[in-house]
Amino acid sequence: MHRLCLLAAALLGLSAHAAEPLKVVTTIETFADLARSVGGDKVEVQTLSHGYQDPHFVEAKPNLMVVLNRADLLVRVGLDLEIGWLPPLVLGSRNERIARGQPGDLDTSTLVEPLDVPTTKVDRSQGDIHPLGNPHFWLPPVNAVRIAKGIAERLGQLRPDDKDYFQQRFAAFVADLKQRAVKWDAAAKSLAGVKVVTYHRSWSYVTRWLKLDEQGYVENKPGIPPSPDHLAQLITSMRANKVSKVLVEDFYNRSIAEDVAAKAGATLVAAPSDVGARPDIKTYPQLVDALLTALTK
Amino acid sequence: MKTALAAVLCASVAWAQAPADAGVDEVPANAGPSLADELDVAAGVSPTSTPVAPAPTANPVLRAFQSLNPDLSVVLDATGGLAGAPSYSLSGDDPELRGGPAEHPAGFTVQEAEIGIQAVVDPYFRGDLFLTIPNLQGLEVEEGYVTSTSLPADLQVKAGIFRSALGRQNGQHLHGQDFTRRPLLNEAYLGADGLRAPGLQVSWLVPTPFFLQLTGEAFSVGAPEDTAHLSTFGGGRRVDLAYTAELKTFVPVTDTVSVYGGLDAATGVTPGVTDADGVLHRAGARTFLEGFDLYVKYKPLNVAGGFFSLAWTTELFVRQVLGPEVLDDTLVDGGLYSQLVAQVSRRVFLGLRQDFLGLPSSALQARVQRTSFSATFAFSEFARLRAHVERETTATDGLGFFSGPPVWGAYLQLEVSYGAHGAHPF
Repeated sequence: MHRLCLLAAALLGLSAHAAEPLKVVTTIETFADLARSVGGDKVEVQTLSHGYQDPHFVEAKPNLMVVLNRADLLVRVGLDLEIGWLPPLVLGSRNERIARGQPGDLDTSTLVEPLDVPTTKVDRSQGDIHPLGNPHFWLPPVNAVRIAKGIAERLGQLRPDDKDYFQQRFAAFVADLKQRAVKWDAAAKSLAGVKVVTYHRSWSYVTRWLKLDEQGYVENKPGIPPSPDHLAQLITSMRANKVSKVLVEDFYNRSIAEDVAAKAGATLVAAPSDVGARPDIKTYPQLVDALLTALTK
Repeated sequence: MKTALAAVLCASVAWAQAPADAGVDEVPANAGPSLADELDVAAGVSPTSTPVAPAPTANPVLRAFQSLNPDLSVVLDATGGLAGAPSYSLSGDDPELRGGPAEHPAGFTVQEAEIGIQAVVDPYFRGDLFLTIPNLQGLEVEEGYVTSTSLPADLQVKAGIFRSALGRQNGQHLHGQDFTRRPLLNEAYLGADGLRAPGLQVSWLVPTPFFLQLTGEAFSVGAPEDTAHLSTFGGGRRVDLAYTAELKTFVPVTDTVSVYGGLDAATGVTPGVTDADGVLHRAGARTFLEGFDLYVKYKPLNVAGGFFSLAWTTELFVRQVLGPEVLDDTLVDGGLYSQLVAQVSRRVFLGLRQDFLGLPSSALQARVQRTSFSATFAFSEFARLRAHVERETTATDGLGFFSGPPVWGAYLQLEVSYGAHGAHPF
């Protein structure tokens, strides 16, 4: 009888363990929303940064090691976006499940086609560049679908019993985006060819998706404050080419971009680039809606 | 169908406001696939689907990143300065300018050249090697250690030569400092190069909902080059190790305010101190060090509202030296520093630090204080220029901290970092 009780307890323990949600940690909030979308109630998702933070400069606060310590899956951007803060957190987490190359480590940059990949040797005289390509790729819906697919597949790999569940939720996510795609297409059509200057070279994927005409950058060298000479040339060029919008992420200081836009006769567009960038952007579709609203206003 | 029609109508109302003429060239009608079709392709459900992404490793530049060579980096500190008299003490990576004990130190030096070589070793370890040339005097292994990556029970082991986790500044390299010179307590209580020596560290991430880390270390500390000041560690026999214990916690009070603090304890054997007559005292005496460190930081999560941030660091050590000449003759002294560093614009940081030694004072530890001011201009993430001005006094005959003759010093430090240098902890 005693043995039977022990066996029952062990089985109950096992089934409780099996039903326990997978702990997913993402480096940005958009990935957290995608993970929730495809993972449903079989995942517990936490994010290391907020959507209103510059993902280049998240501080490696030790409490984030505790979050990572319990993670079954780490979903990160890759292309060295998090290189300034994530490695010491992963090392300090002592969690080998999420070590590079393990099933619990998902580098989403492997799921998309990277843009702005240097074809010649680069160095820091060009600013704080990303030698592996532009890591700001999660905004266009096509890439979001690729990332969500990658997350669903990885979740299925980690929890084979729930593979169908994750695939069903992924299909529902795609269906939802397809419903929204009609109005997103309409917005994209109205924006095609609009000439823009962006603050940081972080909108390449968006400008390609929306066929915006990217005419230059306020920061001509990423991460380096622009020189007065560059700004003067940029303003002259913007006037000559009738650039209508200066695009800047919410988390940047807008003073220089505002000044450039005012002097060039353009409109400053402060746009969200991540879920959570504003209190009312809680999901990826809301992020795209907010971005398109900001651009078409 | 109705849904699609409604969606199109909504879209035309919501997004038909884009200016038709401003900054728009003639664009051919969009004849490409619809977004919905592209989503099907991306999802892999379309019969016309194609592979998602071309393999980036086809690029020869990218292939170079796949080499298994370690990351290499260099940090260089070129410093010039002038001081009214030699300082009370110098840490190993403080700028050592030309000038003897009776002269005014002045001139230029390369305060430190550091070479970092870092890589993952295998599934079980990563390796970090930092070679340093302080003040152009010989090549030293500042740190060379392996760290475990896959131990059970949230344990981590570090072995080799490394900086102790004791306190806050001891674990940081020179380029992690906010001032040109290290705090006085570094040399006085931890050693000229801080507490760094061959040893073993075991740390445990305590399974609590918040960050709590317990660390224990054992070091074989070598004897110091001179015994003008009493060193806490480095004496005794070969088997006399220095032991430390640190308990660190982190509290994210709000998104913008963080508190990181620790309790520190250490014990070792002193090599003693030589008096003016050349007589060595206290050699072989057991020493104890207790202290705490506190780091409070205010930093908004983004710079949309401005660049201001503020960091306050305080660190304190109290030392007991037991005997050995008279066993009950326990000597107690201590020191602390407290500093405020403010980021006042995108590129400018201002710092103010107050150091005290001899708090409490003892027969072997005079009252010394130093006030330091630093102004740092960051050209980029990888280069900065720092001006550092300090005023130091050493009390004589048991008088107050500020009673001695002032010694002024001023330094200009250019610090650059290049190559792939690993990210620093908080």
